[in-house]
Amino acid sequence: MDPKYIRNFAIIAHIDHGKSTLSDRLLEMTGSLTAREMQAQVLDAMDLERERGITIKAHSVRMMYTARDGQTYQLNLIDTPGHVDFSYEVSRSLASCEGALLVVDASQGVEAQTLANAYLAINNGLEIIPVINKIDLPSADIPRTKEMIEQAVGLPADHAVPVSAKTGLGVDEILESIVHLLPSPKGDSNAPLQALIFDSWFDAYRGVIVLARIINGRMYKGQKIKLMSNGKVFDIENLGVLTPKPVEIESLSAGEVGFFVATIKNVADTKIGDTVTDASHPASEMLPGFEDIKSMVFAGLYTVDSHEHTLLRDALEKLRLNDSSFFFEPESSAALGFGFRCGFLGLLHMEIIQERLEREFNLDLITTAPGVRYKITMTDGSVLEVDNPSRWPEVTSIEKIEEPIITAMIMTNEEYVGGILKLVEEKRGKQKNFEYVTPTRVMLTYELPLNEIVLDFYDRLKSVSRGYASLDYHLTGTWVSPMVKMDILVSGEPVDALSIIVHRDVAYERGKALVHKMKELIPRQMFEVAIQAAIGSKIVARETVSAIRKNVIAKCYGGDISRKRKLLEKQKEGKKRMKRIGKVDIPQEAFLAVLKIGED
Amino acid sequence: MPPVGLYLSVPFCRAKCSYCNFASDAFGPARMDAYVDRLTEEIAQAPAKASAIGATLPREVDSVYFGGGTPSLLSAARFQRIFEALRTVFSLQSEMEFTLECAPGQLADETLAELLRHGLNRVSLGVQSFVDQESRAVGRFHTRDVCLAEIARLRSAGVQEINVDLIAGLPHQTHESWRISLEQTVAANVPHVSVYMLEVDEESRLGRELIAGGVRYHAHHVPDDGLVAEMYLEACEFLGNDGIPQYEISNFARPGHASRHNLKYWKRLPYLGLGLDAHSMLGDWRFQNTDDLNAYLEGKASPDPVSVSPHEASEEELFLGLRLNEGIALPEEGPIAHVLRQLVRDGLMQVQGDRVALTPKGRLLSNDVFTELLGATA
Repeated sequence: MDPKYIRNFAIIAHIDHGKSTLSDRLLEMTGSLTAREMQAQVLDAMDLERERGITIKAHSVRMMYTARDGQTYQLNLIDTPGHVDFSYEVSRSLASCEGALLVVDASQGVEAQTLANAYLAINNGLEIIPVINKIDLPSADIPRTKEMIEQAVGLPADHAVPVSAKTGLGVDEILESIVHLLPSPKGDSNAPLQALIFDSWFDAYRGVIVLARIINGRMYKGQKIKLMSNGKVFDIENLGVLTPKPVEIESLSAGEVGFFVATIKNVADTKIGDTVTDASHPASEMLPGFEDIKSMVFAGLYTVDSHEHTLLRDALEKLRLNDSSFFFEPESSAALGFGFRCGFLGLLHMEIIQERLEREFNLDLITTAPGVRYKITMTDGSVLEVDNPSRWPEVTSIEKIEEPIITAMIMTNEEYVGGILKLVEEKRGKQKNFEYVTPTRVMLTYELPLNEIVLDFYDRLKSVSRGYASLDYHLTGTWVSPMVKMDILVSGEPVDALSIIVHRDVAYERGKALVHKMKELIPRQMFEVAIQAAIGSKIVARETVSAIRKNVIAKCYGGDISRKRKLLEKQKEGKKRMKRIGKVDIPQEAFLAVLKIGED
Repeated sequence: MPPVGLYLSVPFCRAKCSYCNFASDAFGPARMDAYVDRLTEEIAQAPAKASAIGATLPREVDSVYFGGGTPSLLSAARFQRIFEALRTVFSLQSEMEFTLECAPGQLADETLAELLRHGLNRVSLGVQSFVDQESRAVGRFHTRDVCLAEIARLRSAGVQEINVDLIAGLPHQTHESWRISLEQTVAANVPHVSVYMLEVDEESRLGRELIAGGVRYHAHHVPDDGLVAEMYLEACEFLGNDGIPQYEISNFARPGHASRHNLKYWKRLPYLGLGLDAHSMLGDWRFQNTDDLNAYLEGKASPDPVSVSPHEASEEELFLGLRLNEGIALPEEGPIAHVLRQLVRDGLMQVQGDRVALTPKGRLLSNDVFTELLGATA
């Protein structure tokens, strides 16, 4: 198709501001799906995505739209992940588009994440159409929302489209705006192939499926292609577009978006942001913006039943086929046996992987406290990268420790600023900016140690702001900080899987809070259990789980043995879900106690 | 083949006590006749029912136990009918143990006389406490004086085997008041005592109130777990010192006065339960009746019989046998022996010659001990 009639766009929105509903409506109104085929929120296909109401994987859909000018346009909607953990993926999806719809809830206004992604889109040179959604709600305030878009995002809002994605009101105006306001793709179909990979996954029947935007050149069946980041060469077996049903076609040209299946066996070869080129007529350079994905958050994963260790390995391998953004390597723990050290993009990513392992592979897992990777310069001048507390070197051999730092943007209403400032201070934050974007909305910019963010920051932020604060962050550097390793002793024995790395100045408080939370999480046992926090040989906090005094079925009603058995079986099942360390049964959640400090 | 023990459930009470988690209730006396009709029918059908599932029901009976509820509320005529039915199907041994559960002050002279004619030789009295404030708080009708008078009356009628039920953990109970109940029990010179600890579960009003943290039924005056545990240990020691040693987690008897019927439960000897929510074990089979009175009266189906596998039987031998102070024979080397040794090291079990048994602390934590052992058999 002539690129003149192609429009590639993304939708930027905060969670619950209506992105999925709007996508569904666009599909419906362009006739891409009949009402009968319409299943609510087609794009968020993964169960987990539906439940959490967020998009984890990117997708794309081609829609054909006959505009009021009588011309038929090809509209490619590129759906983007909606969480700060996946900001690199978002940036690559945006780089595949010429424009974006910025969806803002008419009663909620602009949130930090929307803002961050909007900036990302502006920086990628995208044309933006503001869409004011949920105008059917009584609390909708269109003029105020327009004002916010202008003040907070810095975008003119005069051409903003007011809609209700729920009822469909105004959605046809969006389609017209896409056609008339968004630029068509530039690019040369006769130049050497340059296609941008913005997603890939493993399909059990078809192998690795890659989503790409053709920037220059052509991609066709049987073509020999090369992935420019690693130089690997493959043959294209077939290619097509998602409508959203997959439809095979012969070729894709500059400006178009589609999928291809090549002789790729390993999804890890298809890196997001990489450039696909023609192996025989390669482009001279890669498309800009490619980065190797770096894990930000690290944790150990173990099975409660140590016999299931190989099942966990198989499960991780299978998951990695679908998600090349996390890594794992074997590690072992004195307390938990054989397991895996895993790296994730963020805390949500970690939760998703853990939940998928438990649900899809039916595993009972223990996750150790998440941490970050430190750069440690030793007294002998050598440099170590340590993400596992059990590999922390001797204090005396450490010269300096560098910890990763993020810049966070927090957007909130002014009444919650006090609570949030207290929280970021506690989390060792340094203020960079404090700005009223409207008379009642505040945007805070802080530098914070990533180590503090991966613990309970997001939950705490939500609680101090009653949900009226949004957060976006990106990695911006390192600080030299006096970090120490804190060990947890259960009944006098250090449990390696419970060790964490903390800043020296907060170690005492953190230790106290941690053992207190563990006391709540560890059920009473047949004997007293001491829980201690220690730095080196110094005990900084102690709590005691007192012993159970009685657990006995005394009464026997006329020989009712089945009731006794049921009770014992129930108790036995409960114990099976705990990890026995020494003589103490520790429930799974106690290993993540550090995330639960501050919860009641 | 060992003789069978018969358990007959009589779920009628004048009022339901706050701690009660049984299927009994203050069902009107109008339903007693219907109940006895159904019970006699069930007795008549018992041999056919047993053979239908392939279980052996012995004809010889060496214990009869009327439990409740408050079986002493049944009239003489109703007992007469029940015994007619029993004697048609079973051979009641002349030296059988015949127990009646009885609420103090709720046994009519005429009923007692009728039961004595049928061989009544043991009465279990639901005293629960000799401190009037405590029994009143849970809804019992008797006082200490009524209890003592009942014991004297039974003795003069020729019933020597008398059991006193006590509960540790009643509202308002203290160390001192518990001591009063224990002393009074010993002073009454009964040969058998049962000591239970208050069970807190969703099945009783008091239990639900405790779980909810409320104050009805004097729930806020219930002693804490630690104190109840101490009361229990004190009872074990106190009764033992006075010649009433413990023989099972909840039971104490002067030598030669242990309850033959209750021992069947722990030793896995055959028993047949008749009536509402009654439980049976015949050979490899366990079965039970419905706990819904209307369903029972209409003769509706009860849960299916369950066959006990050899593995489950060996588990039962463990967790039932270990309830007894005599314990179980030391097992052969294997996972069980391994866990037992650890439990001995932890002071929860003790070896006595070629047997192993719970320690007092182990009895208090017996569910944990049994769970450990069941974990080892799996």
